[in-house]
Amino acid sequence: MTSPGGQGGGALSTRGGAGARRMKWALELSMGNARSRVDRQGGQGDVVYPIGYSEKPVPDNSIQETDKNLVEKRCWDVALGPLKQIPMNLFIMYMSGNTISIFPIMMVCMMAWRPIQALMSMSATFKLLESSSQQWLQGLVYLVGNLLGSALAIYKCQSMGLLPTHSSDWLAFIEPPKKMEILGGGMML
Amino acid sequence: MAISIITGGFSVFLLCHFAGAVFEDQVGKFDWRQQYAGKVRFALFDMHVQSSKKVLMATEKNVFASVNTRTGDLAWRHVDSTGPEGNIDSLLLHGQDAVLVVGDGRLLRSWDINVGGLNWEMVLDTGSFQAASFVGHLDSVRYVAVLKKAAISLHYLSNGHQKWLENLPESDSVQYQAVYSEGDGEVYALGLVPNSHIYIVAFSVEDGEIIKQVTVEAPWLSDLGANCVVVGQGVLMCVDVATLSLYTLDLHLDSEMTQIPLQTLELEVSPGFQPVLTSTQPNAAQAPLSEFFLQLGPEHHLLLQLKDNKVVTLRDFQPSLLVSFATTGEKTVAAVMATKNTTACTIILYSADSGRRLLDTTLIFTMEPNGGKPERLYIQAFLKKDDSVGYRVMVQSEDHTLTFMQQPGRVMWTREEALSDVVTMEMVDLPLTGTQAELEGEFGKKADGLCSMVLKRLSSQLTLLQAWMGHLWKLFYDARKPRSQVKNDVTMETLSRDEFNLQKMMIMVTASGKLFGIDSKTGTIVWKHYLENVPANAAFKLMVQRTTAHFPHPPQCTLLIKDKDTGLGVLHVFNPIFGKKSHITPPSLPQPILQSLLLPIMDQDYAKVLLLIDDQYKVSAFPSTKNVLQQLQEMASSIFFYLADPSQGRLAGYRLLTDLSTELLWEVVLPVEVQKILFVKGKRGNEHVHSQGRVMGDRSVLYKYLNPNLLAVVTESTDPHPERSFVGILLIDGVTGRIIHNAVQRKARGPVHLVHSENWVVYKYWSSKSRRNEFSVLELYEGMELYNSTVFSSLDRPHVPQVLQQSYIFPTSISTLEATLTEKGITSRHLLVGLPSGAILSLPKMFLDPRRPEIVTEQSREENLIPYAPEMPIRSEWFINYNQTVARVRGIYTAPSGLESTCLVVAYGLDIYQTRVYPSKQFDVLKDDYDYMLISSVLFGLFFATMISKRLAEVKLLNRAWR
Repeated sequence: MTSPGGQGGGALSTRGGAGARRMKWALELSMGNARSRVDRQGGQGDVVYPIGYSEKPVPDNSIQETDKNLVEKRCWDVALGPLKQIPMNLFIMYMSGNTISIFPIMMVCMMAWRPIQALMSMSATFKLLESSSQQWLQGLVYLVGNLLGSALAIYKCQSMGLLPTHSSDWLAFIEPPKKMEILGGGMML
Repeated sequence: MAISIITGGFSVFLLCHFAGAVFEDQVGKFDWRQQYAGKVRFALFDMHVQSSKKVLMATEKNVFASVNTRTGDLAWRHVDSTGPEGNIDSLLLHGQDAVLVVGDGRLLRSWDINVGGLNWEMVLDTGSFQAASFVGHLDSVRYVAVLKKAAISLHYLSNGHQKWLENLPESDSVQYQAVYSEGDGEVYALGLVPNSHIYIVAFSVEDGEIIKQVTVEAPWLSDLGANCVVVGQGVLMCVDVATLSLYTLDLHLDSEMTQIPLQTLELEVSPGFQPVLTSTQPNAAQAPLSEFFLQLGPEHHLLLQLKDNKVVTLRDFQPSLLVSFATTGEKTVAAVMATKNTTACTIILYSADSGRRLLDTTLIFTMEPNGGKPERLYIQAFLKKDDSVGYRVMVQSEDHTLTFMQQPGRVMWTREEALSDVVTMEMVDLPLTGTQAELEGEFGKKADGLCSMVLKRLSSQLTLLQAWMGHLWKLFYDARKPRSQVKNDVTMETLSRDEFNLQKMMIMVTASGKLFGIDSKTGTIVWKHYLENVPANAAFKLMVQRTTAHFPHPPQCTLLIKDKDTGLGVLHVFNPIFGKKSHITPPSLPQPILQSLLLPIMDQDYAKVLLLIDDQYKVSAFPSTKNVLQQLQEMASSIFFYLADPSQGRLAGYRLLTDLSTELLWEVVLPVEVQKILFVKGKRGNEHVHSQGRVMGDRSVLYKYLNPNLLAVVTESTDPHPERSFVGILLIDGVTGRIIHNAVQRKARGPVHLVHSENWVVYKYWSSKSRRNEFSVLELYEGMELYNSTVFSSLDRPHVPQVLQQSYIFPTSISTLEATLTEKGITSRHLLVGLPSGAILSLPKMFLDPRRPEIVTEQSREENLIPYAPEMPIRSEWFINYNQTVARVRGIYTAPSGLESTCLVVAYGLDIYQTRVYPSKQFDVLKDDYDYMLISSVLFGLFFATMISKRLAEVKLLNRAWR
């Protein structure tokens, strides 16, 4: 439907101002910039790769040591995330109170849902932590944090009276007892 | 302060919550009322204007009413107090004034018959009433004479003032029984010394002076009122069955009685029949006619004439069932009803003075197939334009039915006055329609080939579709008419269950022995069946043996009628939907019957088994097939029954043995010298309890003590002294005889009304100490733990339940008490209280709760308990029958409907009122004023809006893509 020519024409016209400068030659040494431009314009095949450009990425080994530390740190961040949220949750819990109305219910739902969601996507988190050397410890911390979060949510439900822990909650399911005797009669007619 | 705020808050909450009154446009939509007057004792047609449309009736129910003769509706009605003090002794009608003597001569009242207003009322002197009559003077009726045992008084008709009162001479030996006047300035009081002589005293109308006293020998006469009438110019005519002769005596002359043997008139009396004389005095200011009727046999009447002291036979009517005189203008006619064949009677008019048959006056009265025989005849005669006599007739039958007819036999209306005395009733589900039943039948039948089954299914689906189309068409057709014009024709064919089972068949048993089947939706009488030979003091018990659920077996009801004198019982088995007597022959009951018991076990035809206990404590079963007897033998060890005998103060429990005899298990004797048993009430068999406990404020459960065998026994002290009287409540287990609870209300007396349901008992008594009506409620709880949650056996319940009790002051006395009932028992319960004013109060059970706290706590508020207040409120919006009062409400019947929120209520007494109540509001039904238009227009609007916006969005996307 849309023709490439038309689009190209549009691109040209937008760069009409810069066109005069590009007619002369220019050397851009910044790699990222150049690549992006090349990438953008490479498809049209009308741009010549600049000097010093290599199509293959150049592996960079100089910063590997510091990266490792960073990854470790980052992984601990992920693992400790749920634990860090607990004080915040406690505060929200305290603020929202035990009355059953729309906002506390929403809070509780959110609080209960987030750890559950996290536990469900545990494998994805493990993949994230794969690069770390303390992967198992971090995973354990992450799990404990989430479990604590959900326990907190359950406690909140309990204090709000949402858990069927009382006998009255099961009252509706008690069947009427079967009659063992048949009785009839009355005043003498 | 805090408490008052809380109670205020509660009352506001309750006001919002229980505002259950109907809206103006709902009046008559779900409810109906029928008003009755009772068995007619006196009926008189209003004759003072030719075109009058009134018949005045005084009934045995102490009701004085005027009925419109065009429609049969009550124009007005006055209900007097029950019992002898409201008894209507006499009804006299002159012009627009109806004069009544009420309460054995206690009151003399005059009513304006046009509007039913009281003209005047006079309190008469004490003394038992004998007779009353108008007294004419100078050709107009001006006075009313009232004859009592020892005195005669004359009152002005215009204002009731007493003109004079005279003592009767020798009143201790003479029984005065009749008063007579013919407008000549004298009033005769006719007395009798039985089997000795007649005593005649003549008083002057002017001043009450005794003009003369005459004694006439009459050793054969024992009752003046039954054997004698006055005919002609003051001639007393008596009939004597011993000598078979008529006696005449001229009251104006001091003569002897003249004997006229019936043989000289060539007449014969049927053997064993007491002849009856009937005369007529059309105008109180003139002498009676000289023509009179003599009845010589059950179907033999004679029109006789007294002429020059000789009796002449004008006409002999044989056969003739009933005779009556009627006067219009100057003409008096005699109406004679004769049986034509087994189903019809003819009524013919004859000229009274000649006995000549009047032309074109034949009227055919068709008797109903299952009705009673005609008993009395009331004739409304009128002069036609050509000066001939036309008439309408009101026939009263044995079954208290009034039928009003005009020539040549067109029934204008019938009134079933038997319905003013309903004894017991039941409600039965209507059957499915023919098409639905056909569908059901399809599944019941054996398979006969695939092809035919498919064809059958298709055809039944087709008929269903057809029925549905017809229903839709009717809906559409009716919707265009205003509601008042929509006629609800109820016939046997259209009787079918509605989708929520709100329409049922009411089976009503009346004291006269007439059974009625009434459609609960419209109040139409669908069928009626008169049972002959029902004794006057019979006890009735109605049981539903098979409901309509077992197609193709017809539903079956059984009525046990017990004669209280002989103790013998009769069973009447019938189909409750059509009223037809069942072809099943009930067993004959040679022994007196003590009680009956309907078991939940069924025979192979799905009829529940009825056990009848005779006075030898032997049991007979109905139906008693082999299958049933076998089942009974298996079940015998778990079948128990109890009997309460108030005459001996004895309560006893029995157990069924396998040979259908019984064994006494327990016995409680309440000494009759101290207290008498008023009644014993168990729980209703069809009651369901949804919740097995109550949730406390701390969310634990207090389990209810739901003993199905619990009986509430109410006793009252025989000592009526207010200081020593008491009312006792005994809660007793009917199987083991274990006394669960015993409460005595000191300084209290009846009448006691009681409702026993679920785990509570509510009763009402009169507190003679505080002189007020009080309600008391007892609730029974098992405690915080259930002993056995799967089965309930009275034989294995070691723990005594906790009993809670609370009492309240009720501002008025009550007539009857009943509780609402719903299908599953989820809906909260209300008490239905019939008040003497005729209102029916729907009182939430929540107010009668022994856990209502005196001090409000957090927990009690959590439980929604209303703080205790001794006074029970009555709010006018709780009256379920708004202004449709039910006179003398005697009983309330409640039945569940197919909707859990709805309970059907029938209140009966003198009137019958049917309605629906919603104790927890209509939580399962869309509101009556639900805005279907708004909702559907919003829905359609949104739908179109989405369609349009979707289209617009597409266009916009396309445009953007083009850019």
